[in-house]
Amino acid sequence: MAASAARGAVVLRTNIGRPVAFVRKIPWTAASSELREHFAQFGHVRKCTVPFDKETGFHKGMGWIHFSSEEELHNALQQENHIIDGVKLHVQPQKPKALQGDQTSDEEKDF
Amino acid sequence: YVLLSHLHFSVRLSPGLLGLLSQARLHSIAAEKKNYLQEEPTSSHRRNASQFDWALMRLDNSVRRTGRIPKTLLQKVFDNTCHSGSPGGNQALLLLRSCGSLLPELKLSERTEFAHKIWDELQKLGTVYDVSHYNALLKVYLQNDHKFSPTDFLARMEKGNIQPNRVTYQRLIAAYCNMGDIEGASTILGFMKTKDLPVTEAVFSALVTGHARSGDMENAENILTVMKEAGIEPGPDTYLALLNAYAEKGDIDHVKQTLEKVEKSDLYLMDRDLLQIILSFSKAGYPQYVPEILEKITYERRYIPDTMNLILLLVTEKLEDTALQILLACPISRESSQNDFGSFFLRHCVTMNTPAEKLKDYCKKLKEAQLHTSPLQFTLQCALVAQKLDLAKVLMKALKEEGFPIRTHYFWPLLVGHQKEKNVQGIVEVLKGMHEIGVTPDQETYVNYVFPCFDSIKSVRAVLQENGCPHDDNVFSQAELRSKAVNGNLDYILSFLVDLAGVNFYCVCSNLLLLLQCTHFLSYQITELLYKDGRYCQEPPGPTEAVGYFLYNLIDSMSDSEVQAKEERLRQYFHQLKEMNVKIPENIYRGIRNLLDSYHVPELIKDVNILVEREKTDSRKPSSSDLESKLEKLKAENQPIGDILKQLIVMLCSEENMQKALELKAKYESDMVVGGYAALINLCCRHDNAEDALNLKREFDRLDSSAVLDTGKYVRLVKVLGKHGKLQDAINILKEMKEKDVPVKDATVLSFFHILNGAALRGETETVKQLHEAIVTLGLAKPSTALSSPLVTLYLEKDDLPAALESTIDCYEKYKILPRIHDVLCKLIEKGETELIQKAMDFVSQEQGEMTMLYDLFFAFLQTGNYKEAKKIIETPGIRARPTRLQWFCDRCIANNQVETLEKLVELTQKLFECDRDQLYYSLLKLYKVNDDWQKADAVWNKMQEENIIPREKTLRLLAEILRNNNQEVPFDVPELWYEEEKDCPTSLPSPVEVNLQQGLLNACHRRRNKGKHAFNIFLTAKKQNIVFDNETYARLINLLLMKDNSTQAMQVKDFAETHIKGFTLNDAANSLLIITQVRRDYLKDALTTLKTALDLDQIPSRLAVTRLIQACALKGDTESIHDIQKLVNGLEDSIGLSRMVFINNIALAQIKNNNIDVAIESIENMLTSENQTVDPQYFGLAYLFRKVIEGQLEPALKKISIMAERLANQFAVYKPVTDLFLQLVDSGKVNDARALLQRCGAIAEQMPILLVFCIRNCQRPGKAPVMKSLLELIPELIDKEEAYTCLMKSYVFDNDVTSAKALYESLTAKNVKLNDLFLKRYAVLLKNAGESVPFTEPPESFEFYAKQLKESKETHL
Repeated sequence: MAASAARGAVVLRTNIGRPVAFVRKIPWTAASSELREHFAQFGHVRKCTVPFDKETGFHKGMGWIHFSSEEELHNALQQENHIIDGVKLHVQPQKPKALQGDQTSDEEKDF
Repeated sequence: YVLLSHLHFSVRLSPGLLGLLSQARLHSIAAEKKNYLQEEPTSSHRRNASQFDWALMRLDNSVRRTGRIPKTLLQKVFDNTCHSGSPGGNQALLLLRSCGSLLPELKLSERTEFAHKIWDELQKLGTVYDVSHYNALLKVYLQNDHKFSPTDFLARMEKGNIQPNRVTYQRLIAAYCNMGDIEGASTILGFMKTKDLPVTEAVFSALVTGHARSGDMENAENILTVMKEAGIEPGPDTYLALLNAYAEKGDIDHVKQTLEKVEKSDLYLMDRDLLQIILSFSKAGYPQYVPEILEKITYERRYIPDTMNLILLLVTEKLEDTALQILLACPISRESSQNDFGSFFLRHCVTMNTPAEKLKDYCKKLKEAQLHTSPLQFTLQCALVAQKLDLAKVLMKALKEEGFPIRTHYFWPLLVGHQKEKNVQGIVEVLKGMHEIGVTPDQETYVNYVFPCFDSIKSVRAVLQENGCPHDDNVFSQAELRSKAVNGNLDYILSFLVDLAGVNFYCVCSNLLLLLQCTHFLSYQITELLYKDGRYCQEPPGPTEAVGYFLYNLIDSMSDSEVQAKEERLRQYFHQLKEMNVKIPENIYRGIRNLLDSYHVPELIKDVNILVEREKTDSRKPSSSDLESKLEKLKAENQPIGDILKQLIVMLCSEENMQKALELKAKYESDMVVGGYAALINLCCRHDNAEDALNLKREFDRLDSSAVLDTGKYVRLVKVLGKHGKLQDAINILKEMKEKDVPVKDATVLSFFHILNGAALRGETETVKQLHEAIVTLGLAKPSTALSSPLVTLYLEKDDLPAALESTIDCYEKYKILPRIHDVLCKLIEKGETELIQKAMDFVSQEQGEMTMLYDLFFAFLQTGNYKEAKKIIETPGIRARPTRLQWFCDRCIANNQVETLEKLVELTQKLFECDRDQLYYSLLKLYKVNDDWQKADAVWNKMQEENIIPREKTLRLLAEILRNNNQEVPFDVPELWYEEEKDCPTSLPSPVEVNLQQGLLNACHRRRNKGKHAFNIFLTAKKQNIVFDNETYARLINLLLMKDNSTQAMQVKDFAETHIKGFTLNDAANSLLIITQVRRDYLKDALTTLKTALDLDQIPSRLAVTRLIQACALKGDTESIHDIQKLVNGLEDSIGLSRMVFINNIALAQIKNNNIDVAIESIENMLTSENQTVDPQYFGLAYLFRKVIEGQLEPALKKISIMAERLANQFAVYKPVTDLFLQLVDSGKVNDARALLQRCGAIAEQMPILLVFCIRNCQRPGKAPVMKSLLELIPELIDKEEAYTCLMKSYVFDNDVTSAKALYESLTAKNVKLNDLFLKRYAVLLKNAGESVPFTEPPESFEFYAKQLKESKETHL
């Protein structure tokens, strides 16, 4: 239990206070600079990653937008449609699953 | 492989985690339990099979979604198959089949090449080919227009020792016809005729093509007439052949005429067929006629894949303009920009090197037609993937012209290809291209895609300069720096983490965490589920065992530190279980204890201990009379008797002595306790005694209103009260169940169903309605289809169809279920109730959709034999396969052995969209297996080839089994048996099929029809599906089979049950029946074993069974076995009801059979003359021995026995043996011998009691009149005895011997004997039946009356 809690803490530390949007369905024509440009309207984009596959030279259609604040992330998520190159992106908050796991502690009380 | 399975697991974890985890747990438990009985299948087989399933699924999905298989996918599946070691026959078939028209993206010659590659490669790997493979190859040849010599092909088959079949010949004819070689086709046709093979429509269709291709259109048309003359109506296939023939000639007029003809007929051409005509026109160079055919296409959704297929094929054939024409005609919904429909076309054009300018034009057209939102971008992507620099450049320029930006990363895919091959020149070309388009490489381009191609960055700079590639020095340097940093300074782990930063890392961690944390709170739910839900733990071993294993595994799967850390939580958990009344068996507790000990948490042991189920261990049970006297003693001493009273009542209840138990209760009412009442209530329910049960329940409540009975007792009360019209009381019981929160298990719900169904069958409307209402509104059970079906049954039984339908609809409105809708529909159809059918259909289609309605109607038509109507329904445009519904009907047909219905289902669904043909044929084979019909099974094998279906391994195995069982050669390589089918649903979870089957079996047992064959068939069906029923079901079936003298089948069932149910045993009755059957079949050794088994189980075998066995041993002269049996049953003789004489008679008989006559006689004589006689000489009956000796004509023995009997009479005054001998002689018709014996020993005539017993016994059997007559002649004094003359008359009446009866009556009246009314009545009826007058007034009352009268008068005399 102690070990897993520690592991959980590592995950939490890397994510808490770091508002990240997880973007899927990025068209092949767009890369990180296009994303950065698009999301800049919601706030300061600290980092934007769209990993490319070195085997194919294409990216895999997903990326991460690191904002400076929760509020900025919230702004981005508020907008219904995010369209780049005529394609609708799927944007969702990057929720570390460790957090979800933590929530189970409530249910454990019923145990 | 291992990695793959892990990935699979983690992927599956997130959605519905709870469900999956619990399933996984249950699986592991099920597997654990199974291992007792089944061997672990070898892993390689499993891999092979899952490999096949995987391949089939991938290819199948591809075909279903797109109507084709991409070459890369086929290649991948092929490679995988080869790697798997020895590919099975059906894998080979699957691959071969895929090499034809399913590969529209490949040129025809390439497809055939691929097929040959697969053929040779797999053969090398040891795949055994059978006729189905050759047929599949032929089909591929036909589909690919491959030119080959049919005679060579036949020769090749012959060399491979493969017998061609109907399908082979059909396809060879088609091959000749495709080449326009009518002569060749005729030769093959000749072969078929000599082999007496049926000439089907397929052959005629081929001949149409043949004549047409040989240039003889007139004869092509004539074939249709020839067909009709041969009794085969031309179907869509024949017309299609004709249409294609005209299309190939560019004869649009004839095509149109023929199409009109078809339209007017009953036939129906599908889109797929029309597409064929389009292909024919296009290939023959008449694209101008395509639009006319396109107009006729309906564009049903299900034909979209076919259309796509055609488009691709046309592109492959360089007819891309026609392809575009068809594509543009497709009515795809234009609004949804999500799916860019034209993509497949563009991609294939790129692959097929369609000129760039043409492509640009297509993109424009697609965009205009709104078939694609970004065709240029998409085409560019395809060009990049295919690394076509020139095309890419053209497209990028076009994009730029349209104002789209060209980005650096567009060039990366092009660079990647060259980088892999270290192709410097290629890289340079791309960089030049970039410049040409006006794009400058950035840092990433250099670092990731350019530098790796070179030995050093220095050389990059040199090469670029050399080739005149302009580059930004600043960017280049930065790139260089980064490249060095990356290669030199960062350590492996860090880069690994960086690479993982993002979804993967989180995924891994969080999934693990989630898994860890879920294990515990979940286990509680799983445990509860396991324990409460009857389905997971059939009896035996029952829920205690399941939960026990679960707990054991749970603790076993945790590490010691984990257990230590979670000690408190586990403790809570165990107490929670305790509160839930969960129990575990002692032995498993011991296992857990050892685990906890080894984990160093012995503190937890006491917490587990509270869960152990304590069995009552007092082995010496006092008898009820012991208890009773003890009770009286205590009462007399004025001591508390509560306990002993309860014990006694419980015991009386277990002895089913209701009367006594009730008396006792009345006597000691004030001392009754709750437990005693519970047992009594249950007993009264069992004895269908509603009155007492209800009274007892009331007394029970008065005693302790909070006391709760167990579920079963409540249910039984409801049943008995309902049955006896005490509806309100029954409902009150239900209410109490709710109030007291009595646990309702699946079995309880099933009991509810039976209560309701019983009432429905008895036509008790109110009972059904009110009880159902109460059960449902109280929430004791969900209003499931099954539970509510009695509401409909009620009216179906009364043939009140409107009410039945109303009731079904009512159920839907109340509970959203439609119970027995199928049966209702069937009856409506049978009765032709059009209006009601319409009403039902409107309702179903409104509430559940048109598709559901169509299926309902389809099944009802099939069931009632209205196949034409069924056909129309299933051909409704847009209908698609619903696997679960089809399976439901198949299972139904199998369970009810409806061969024709199932055959029709399979036939009619041939063209049903997305229909799993193999599964349907599998069902059909299952039914053939049940009926052992190998001819039909063999026909299925042919039909499957004709339909080009890949049989799954289970299908092949089943087919092989049927053929083998009938001593037929199996014409294919049978896949090894490596796993039981449908294992994926563990046996502990009974599916509806399972429940139905079990119920069907029990019903069949109940009806006992046709020697239990039906019931046995159900068993076989279930066995095939590896469905295991409960103990009781098998016992019933075995009993039935034994009663019907099917011991072989009984043993089969017994063996299956024994290997699948731990501790399965037959009960007393079944074992006794088994012994009798075994004796009858002369399996004496087995019978003896059965007897031993039964006795070991403390069972009491029946007297008949033991006697038969002893007698059979005696007739075999097997003295030893008789002695063994004597020892076995020692002490039980009275319980069995076995007379000692059985042993004496049979041992003597056995000795005589062994020619030890003297020994036998000596021992009998000793027994009768010794001082301490065990049997009173008066009862020392040797009649059986004498009869067997006489029957067996054992003359020397008879002589010696006679001497012994006379000696015993004369010297020892023991007259019983001699009298018995005398009577047996009379009985065997040896009257002279009898008379001689009587003369030698006159005392026989004085043995009246013995003689009278003989008379009474004989007069109860027919055919004994002559014996009685002889006896009366030998001993005339007998007539003076009332018993004797009564028996005589009875015997004469029995045998209709009027003459003897008259003589008897006359001699009796002559003697002035006062005859009783019964005697007179008998005689009178005999005379009347013979048409003679009765010389006295016939006593007016019935036989029973006089019999009773006589009995009473005798009793008063006494």
